[in-house]
Amino acid sequence: MTEELKVAVERKPHGAVLYTKGYINNVGGEEIANRAYELMDDGVRTLLLNLRETKIVNSIGISILIEIIEKMMDQGGKIAFCCLTPVIHKTFQIMGLANYASIFDSEEAAAKELGL
Amino acid sequence: MTTTAERQMELTLPMVPDIEIAAARAVGNLAREMGMSTERVDEMMHAVIEACINAREHSGCADNRIYLRFLGTSQGDGSRVDIWVTDHGRGFDPEEARSRRQTPGTPHKRGRGLQLIELHMDEVDISTTKNGGTTVHMVKYEKKS
Repeated sequence: MTEELKVAVERKPHGAVLYTKGYINNVGGEEIANRAYELMDDGVRTLLLNLRETKIVNSIGISILIEIIEKMMDQGGKIAFCCLTPVIHKTFQIMGLANYASIFDSEEAAAKELGL
Repeated sequence: MTTTAERQMELTLPMVPDIEIAAARAVGNLAREMGMSTERVDEMMHAVIEACINAREHSGCADNRIYLRFLGTSQGDGSRVDIWVTDHGRGFDPEEARSRRQTPGTPHKRGRGLQLIELHMDEVDISTTKNGGTTVHMVKYEKKS
């Protein structure tokens, strides 16, 4: 049984948005990381992850998201999240991810605040 | 108070990648049939996922199986779902695992599964013995509004 995560990228004038669809586990987390690192290598320093179509994450997937945040912070950039379910939002807070990445209710609010 | 068993399910699942999703979907369906709210169902599903991952990643069991039992009951003032996740592995020391835990809200890359289970569920009880396996018993309540 596999649950493949789909990731779509939309470049913005001042950054990019990653749209995830499906389960963020170890494999899904690595897929997000690969896309995020490609964008960082391409000079992107503001990244928004829209999790509107992700309903389940696990602790291993979140650990990979934390690694992405750390790498972006090392490069002087920032990562934010939007459109989280209440339980994913709570899980991010428990895991400490919310201390290093802003969380927004909507993509519009995030884009405005981040200047995308 | 009258308590009525309304839904019961038992599953034996192989320890293969992503099998935790099958377990989570099963308990999610049962909880929805019990009339639980979406948020509480989601919390339960996330807890079951972490319990199954812990069994798969850490139990070291020879039979490569996870044994699950779900029991939904209606009470006068609401409902509850009991979940048992069992493996026949090496067991572990819950207090030692908790002692490695960081404060909630501090970033930590691994070892948060048990903490997530305890924060997502209303009650958690762990029975474990050295080389005698582990059972995580979790309970979620929903009061009638």
